Amino acid sequence: MSQPETPVELRPLPPGTGQIVLSPSVPAEAPADLVRDLYRLSDPALSELGLDQFLDELLNRVRDALGVDTAAILLLDREAKQLVARAAKGLEEEVEQGVRIPIGKGFAGRIAAERVAIFIADVDHADILNPILREKRIRSLLGVPLIVEGDLIGVMHVGSLTPRVFDAEDLALLEVAAARAAPGIERARLYTALEREHRVAVLLQRSLLPRGLPDVVGVPVAARYLSARDEVGGDWYDVIELPEGRLGIAIGDVVGHGLGAAALMGQLRTALRAYAQEGHGPSRTLELVDCFVQTMPQQPMATAAYAQFDPQSGKLALATAGHLPPAIVGPLGPRSLRVTPGAPLGAFPYGAAPEQELTLQSGEVIVMYTDGLIERRGEPLELAIDKLLELIREASSAEEACQLAFDGLVPPEGLDDDVAIVALQNAPVPNALRLALAADPKVLAHVRRAVRRWLSEYGTGAERSGEIALAVSEACANAIEHAYAPGPASFELQAEVIDRDAVFTVRDWGRWRPARRGNRGRGLRIIDAAMDDVRLETTPTGTTIVMRRRLGAG
Amino acid sequence: MRLADVDFTERDGSVIAAVRGEIDMSNASALGDAVGGATPGDALRVVLDLSRVNYLDSAGIHLIFRLRQSLRDRDLELAVVIPPESPANDALRLAGLMGRMEIARTLEEALGT
Repeated sequence: MSQPETPVELRPLPPGTGQIVLSPSVPAEAPADLVRDLYRLSDPALSELGLDQFLDELLNRVRDALGVDTAAILLLDREAKQLVARAAKGLEEEVEQGVRIPIGKGFAGRIAAERVAIFIADVDHADILNPILREKRIRSLLGVPLIVEGDLIGVMHVGSLTPRVFDAEDLALLEVAAARAAPGIERARLYTALEREHRVAVLLQRSLLPRGLPDVVGVPVAARYLSARDEVGGDWYDVIELPEGRLGIAIGDVVGHGLGAAALMGQLRTALRAYAQEGHGPSRTLELVDCFVQTMPQQPMATAAYAQFDPQSGKLALATAGHLPPAIVGPLGPRSLRVTPGAPLGAFPYGAAPEQELTLQSGEVIVMYTDGLIERRGEPLELAIDKLLELIREASSAEEACQLAFDGLVPPEGLDDDVAIVALQNAPVPNALRLALAADPKVLAHVRRAVRRWLSEYGTGAERSGEIALAVSEACANAIEHAYAPGPASFELQAEVIDRDAVFTVRDWGRWRPARRGNRGRGLRIIDAAMDDVRLETTPTGTTIVMRRRLGAG
Repeated sequence: MRLADVDFTERDGSVIAAVRGEIDMSNASALGDAVGGATPGDALRVVLDLSRVNYLDSAGIHLIFRLRQSLRDRDLELAVVIPPESPANDALRLAGLMGRMEIARTLEEALGT
């Protein structure tokens, strides 16, 4: 409480402490130009400098205004009930050494505990806890509490290397500085904390979402994720490679926002992925994730949908746990799947998600999305889903479906909710296959599946198909072994039908290396035996192998 | 995604390594290492059961030869189970190895029971 007309009253603290409580202050006595200088500090723009720069600038001005040698700010650590040196001028060691002063102890500690200004005329005869103050040979000190809306947030003090009697004007000035600085500090601190949480959340979320999507020949997938304007959320998607060439796609939405939701999302995504990789079907996978959710202490709630696609048969198995129904677009027109939704994850002890099986026709795209994409206040859900279907009806690929949905539903300024979308296409099998492949043994399994799928379009029998896939895989393995390039090594596979013959061409740009003992030679032998005709052409720039096999049901 | 999984069981001194899935250039040598590594020194022999393998090529055949050699160096015998009418059998046939490789048709045959 400032009472300008009252002169400064000096009240000694308990004998032997060397401390004097100064009160009340007289703000009117502070020189106007200096006050103005300090006032400018609390501009919101300045506080957005970040706490460090703000304090740095503040202390410089205080030091200049008061003509002191040192100035320091200690902020309250509420948990520890200590003051922590946060910024200092002429007293940098205090911050560097992370000096901590218990509330109630010593000079700064008493200022904080009693919320009074304290003047120490002679440090040598005072109760000083902080050894740095003595080491720096500070003689006189003046300190005031930093208070925001009744809450103590810290202490600011100034010091002189020569004995000095801080007068009422000095105190007034320091109190003005404190009064103007405290809210700025609080705001900057809050801002920094929020900014950090947001940054951490965004980072966490990014690390929890898939880095890249599996590149499965013949089954293009695409996905998009956009966090909400101000906050991250709990949306996720996933694409999971499964045994025997099947592919899983998942989408989910953890109720809530911020760091917590993002962390939960990561756990749920991992759980779903782990169960799916075990080979469980969609219904069982969601049931297992639900059991997992039920054991979590946070008791989260989430919705999710999971679908498994088998490229060989075109069959799609699907289950949802309280999630919006997937959409399907393609040559047959758009449709929203009528799925009987199971209960959301974590909602009931025995939530079951019924499984539905359907065939994804050649060229069709299944699109799964979170509510953020379509839900708009005041708009019925049915209409919102229709709007989405209308937007993506012309999509001819998974990528295009995602793009059309985002272009049509996500405004440039973003949305209040986060949004995830994932799409998968049963890509039409082309008359001729033309694949550019990385020289990585991992592509071989994909090659075999693509070849089998392509052959099935010509009514090729299982045994013949198996032998052909084996020969083509061997030829590709050859190309991978040859691969030798300074850049990313690759090779090409082509398949076409010429006069009822399936003709495969594998071309690499590698340097021919003599076959390793037994192994490659055996591969060529298999190719010879499995195909009707094989031609191998080796040039200094690469190797081309052309293989033919009569098509037929056998 | 793992192309193949191996289950190990021990029966009467034999280590049975049953492979499920596909064996090609991407995993053959790792599978060979896994089988060799899982075999204790006091085992009598190793049975590589390929009954449930749905793809095998020259890399897989090479694995069999290599494993047989490395186990022989440890005084261990390798028996390989490949049923007739199996993808692994197709690979042996196409590679011209039928009748030139010691193969058991069933696990029981391999164990001599």
